Formats: sequence, structure tokens, C-alpha cells
Amino acid sequence: MTTSTLLIAFPKGRLGDELVPKLAGTPLALDVEALKSRVLRIPTATPGVAVLLLKGADLPRYVAAGVASLGIVGSDTLDEMDMDLLELADLGFGACRLSLCAQTGVTLDALRAKPHLRLATKFPRATEAWLTREGLTAELVPLSSSAELAPLLGLADAIVDLVQTGSTLRAHGLVETAVLGASSARLVAARGAYLSEPGRIRPLAQLLVTLLRMDP
Amino acid sequence: MPVRTPHFPDLLFGSAARLRRWEAALMGLLAAQGYRELHPSLVLREAIPDGALRFFDGDDLVALRWDFTVALAGLLARGFSSPPDRVAYAGAVFRRPVQPWEAVERFEVGCERIQPEGESSAEADVELARLLMAIPGALGLKSAILHLGHAALVRRPLEAEGLFGGLADEVVAALSRRAPHRVREVLKGHPSAARLTAHAEAVLSELDGPGTLDALSVSPYAHLLEGEREQMDRALKALLPILPANLELRVDLADVAGLGFYTGPTLRLWAPGAQQELAAGGRYDRLFPDLGRPWQAAGFCVRLSRLLDLAETRPDLFEPLP
Repeated sequence: MTTSTLLIAFPKGRLGDELVPKLAGTPLALDVEALKSRVLRIPTATPGVAVLLLKGADLPRYVAAGVASLGIVGSDTLDEMDMDLLELADLGFGACRLSLCAQTGVTLDALRAKPHLRLATKFPRATEAWLTREGLTAELVPLSSSAELAPLLGLADAIVDLVQTGSTLRAHGLVETAVLGASSARLVAARGAYLSEPGRIRPLAQLLVTLLRMDP
Repeated sequence: MPVRTPHFPDLLFGSAARLRRWEAALMGLLAAQGYRELHPSLVLREAIPDGALRFFDGDDLVALRWDFTVALAGLLARGFSSPPDRVAYAGAVFRRPVQPWEAVERFEVGCERIQPEGESSAEADVELARLLMAIPGALGLKSAILHLGHAALVRRPLEAEGLFGGLADEVVAALSRRAPHRVREVLKGHPSAARLTAHAEAVLSELDGPGTLDALSVSPYAHLLEGEREQMDRALKALLPILPANLELRVDLADVAGLGFYTGPTLRLWAPGAQQELAAGGRYDRLFPDLGRPWQAAGFCVRLSRLLDLAETRPDLFEPLP
């Protein structure tokens, strides 16, 4: 492991699409040419600082292991994984709801009344916590993508998924029947790097907060 | 959740030699300060936790020694009417890993300072901090960082607000993540939310520098924590003048690791760039009273397995071997 380059882990996908443009023209702007390529380690405008582009579900592992000193990831992912890392700030952007969604016309009471409720989700931990709070039991169908298809094709009665604008739900004839929680982008840090090298890590963390934080 | 595929690393020539050398150096250092070695049995037959490596010996469920402090406490409480004041230990403990990089077998060297209840503990705490300050030099670490914390800085405000059980655990978990916004989320709607969030922001505002203890003055619990602040101030005044050149001393007001165990000052040793603490300890005055003995105790444990890993991955952090 080299000590010369500080690595920041950025998520691919929805959150990354929101994040990268915010840094354009700043000291942490990503190298445009590298970004167009298939390279996953992207230099920034600051020498000695590079960005790793990672799948959100993998990102906390890279940070917890100290491979990346800092990272940006949705709080929904953090809540599911419970990794040992520091969560330095709620950056406010990427806000969305974790919701129970079913086909139009299916109510929460109808779902409650089902003797064998099946819920498809990428978020089993949050779903289990909600079921416990509600005093319900259900069969969880773990999925890693395209959960919206599950109720349409009979794989599940409803889904628990992230909802930002609701357009994907509407396109599949689904509606939110309950909101389980909220999610937004969080700045995370490797515990070891932050506690053993605060002089290196804290200024970079502060810069990211300054550049990215939106009031929630 | 325990890791399903724990690893049992073998130590080959260089690492095995380093382990022996480090054990000898540290036990020598402790012996020179009056710490006498005790070696509790490798097999434990009582108070077996889930994380221990367990097996049946005939009809009896037994476990391999999973923690020296707990094993020593049992030995001392059973076998001594008055405690030896200084004890040391060296050897392996066996635990099911929680993180994937943790090994099952972990080598440790440590010490305990034990006193009858009611005696002043301030000198003992400083003695342990001074001993821990000598550890990096004995191990050949080029530089290190000692974090000084205090378990009561978080526990007492929680107790003052009547927060116990699951909700208190969630607040502690948020502080462990250094996330005051999580404290606010966890306590949403609770009468203490504003006060405890302000306290979280205060204790998380600084990690080093001369003004660190001043951060406590903006906490809503500043008055409640005056005694702890004075205790930490005295410790800093005792330790800073004797700080070795290769060691930084920092105050960490939000150290909550082991909060259910520690009752007073806490100590953690890091090396710059290390991903895990290399030694940890503090005051744990409830341990012996819970075993029926009116004794108070403090100690620390040097995690030699982590140091061996560090020597493999970051040899640049160590002085060359003679």
C-alpha cells in the first residue's frame, strides 16, 4: 500500500452522477479524460489525491479496510452493512426515501392483512427493522437490482426500495404505501487513517464538506 | 455477525522471531517496573461468551482463553484475599473474528494495576500511561500517537438523561462513528435530543491541540464533567513534560470503544498510517466488584498480532532489525 497518494472512494451510479459535476472546477475535480475511459482510479486536480470509482455496496469495505481514506456513500448502504468506519458528515445531497411500494390500488392495510407477505428488497436489514417495529412478519426476497419488476411478475407482493422522484415507480405502475426511512450522501472515513493521520485526512475531509454539503 | 471463514495464520521464521523478541522486550519492560507475570489457564470453564472458541470436553462446554483481563480477574478473585498490585501477562487469546481481517489466534502482552477500593487512582493511571509511552520504543516503532480519553465523558451525560439500553447503545454507536448528525437522528423526539447532540458536537469538535479540553466548556454537561476535565488536565500536565520525541499525545474526548467496560481514563496507541490501534486500555473499576472483590483496576493490552501484520505491510514504520 503506498502512502503517497490519498484515495477517496466515490460511488458509481445515481449518487456518483450527482457528485461528480459538483466538483467540476474545484481542487478535487476529476480528470475528464480519465473519466471518459474505463479506468476506475481517476486523478483529481490536486496532485497526490485520486478517486476510486466503486459500486456503492463495495465502497464501505474499501474505506473500512483503509484502502481508501475517505469515501462518499448513501446512508442506506451504511445502514445495511454496519461497517466499522467513521461517518464525518451528512452531505445532504442524494436525498431519497426508503419506501414500501406496491402496485397501484394495493394499500398498506391490504399488505398487512396478507397471511404470507413477500417483500422483495435490496435492503433486508432496514426492512427487517421496519417489520419488527410494525409487529409484522414477512418472507424477504433478496434482490440486487430492478426490484420494481418483482410485484409485476409475482415474485413479491411489494418491494422496499429507494425512491427519489417516484418516476421509476410510476413507470412500473407502483406507488409508495409507507415510508420506512430516509437516505442521503454521507462522508465516511477510515477509522485508522483519520485517528492516526489527522493532519493528512482532516483538511481533505473539510474540503469535501465545504464543496459538497447542502443543508438537508 | 461473526466472520464465517476465520483464518488461522501461521507465523513463519521472521514473524515468529519478532513475536518472541517483542514479548521478551515488553515483559522485561514491565518486570522492571514491578509487574509480575501471571499465566491463566488456556482453557476456561466459566462465563463463556458467544465470541469465544468453544468446544465440549466430555459433557462440559469449555472455551479457549478469549480475554486475559477477564481470565486474570477470575484467577485473582478466586485465589487472592488481597490483590497483587501489579501483574503482567503474555500469550495468545482466541476469539471468533467480527471483522474479516481479524485472526482467531491473537498474541498479546499486557499489564494490570490493582488497588483496594477507595485508594486514589490518579497515580496509577499516570503510571500506566507512562508505561504505554515506553512501548513504541521497546517495539522499534519509529513514531506513535497516544490518545487519552475518558469513558465518563459520554457515560455520565447518558446516565444523567436517564438513557440506558438500546437507545443509549445507538447514541454510543453514533459517537463511535464520530457522527453527531446520527446522534440527532437517533434521538429525534427525545427530550434530551438537543442537549446530547450539542454534547456530541462538543466532544467531536477537536482531536488534538492545546484547546481540546476547552471544547468541553461548550457542552451542556460542562458542569457535570468538571471532575473528569480536571483529571484529564492533571494527566496531561504530568505526561507532556516526559513525552518521548517519537510520540505524540492527543486528547480524544469521544473515545467510546469499550464503553460498557471502561469507567475512567482510556488509552489507545496508534502508529501513523496504521489502520487499527496497536494497544488499548484504561480504568475498569467495576470488574472486581462484580466478582465480589472490593478492588479497583486499570491496565492495557498490546496487540502483538496487529503489530506483526503492520511490520509485514508497513516495514517503513519500524526501525531496522539489529
